[in-house]
Amino acid sequence: MKTKDLVLGFKPVLGFILIFGFAFAAETKTAQELSIRSNIIEELLILLGCVFILAAGIGMFRFPDFYTRLHASSKLVTLGGIGIFGGAAFAFVSLAATQRVLLTAVFFLLTSPVAGYMIARAGYLQGLKPYQEDNSVDEWQACGSETETQVN
Amino acid sequence: MVLTIALYCLVFAMILTLYRVLKGPTWGDRITALDFLTSNLAVLVVVIVLKTGYTDLLDIALLFSILGFLSTVALARYLLNRRVIK
Repeated sequence: MKTKDLVLGFKPVLGFILIFGFAFAAETKTAQELSIRSNIIEELLILLGCVFILAAGIGMFRFPDFYTRLHASSKLVTLGGIGIFGGAAFAFVSLAATQRVLLTAVFFLLTSPVAGYMIARAGYLQGLKPYQEDNSVDEWQACGSETETQVN
Repeated sequence: MVLTIALYCLVFAMILTLYRVLKGPTWGDRITALDFLTSNLAVLVVVIVLKTGYTDLLDIALLFSILGFLSTVALARYLLNRRVIK
């Protein structure tokens, strides 16, 4: 039995699939249509968060100093992440997904400043030098902190 | 449309930060950039959930944020005290 005969033998089945398959495909919804309900508030919040995260990335690339890069990273990522999580919380249909996204947003808001504080404190106490202009003042050193030698 | 713009922005920011991880002159830059990368991955997972509709992946976003915070605090404490737990 040749392959051509095999294909021709299944011709009614193929015709059935061709005619009714599109009808079934039109009936069934995708996963995104079932669980996401997009509206204008969600889209605006997500665009806001994206602008902040893009600014954070450019700041990480271009700023001259460890402390200024830390500033860009910790603050802007917190703000942008909360924007995107809030937008996602508006978009979900089910209540459980909204609760989980809001839990993640609260966790971001609590932990990101703590992480930034830990990195900055460790960097200063290990002696990383800040970028200085003519009239800039190192306040912690003026108060008399004990810094160790430079560790790279 | 908005979600596609969001994905492009996030991936562009991650590429710029990856340059800082590889090049960064001091260890502080590298820790900062790794913290940024893990936070950004959590946000990226939420955008992927919005694009595909599989809401089970939201747990992975929470997991990424917890792991990023714990690893950042552990690295900072190690570099300051030369030990993590006293």
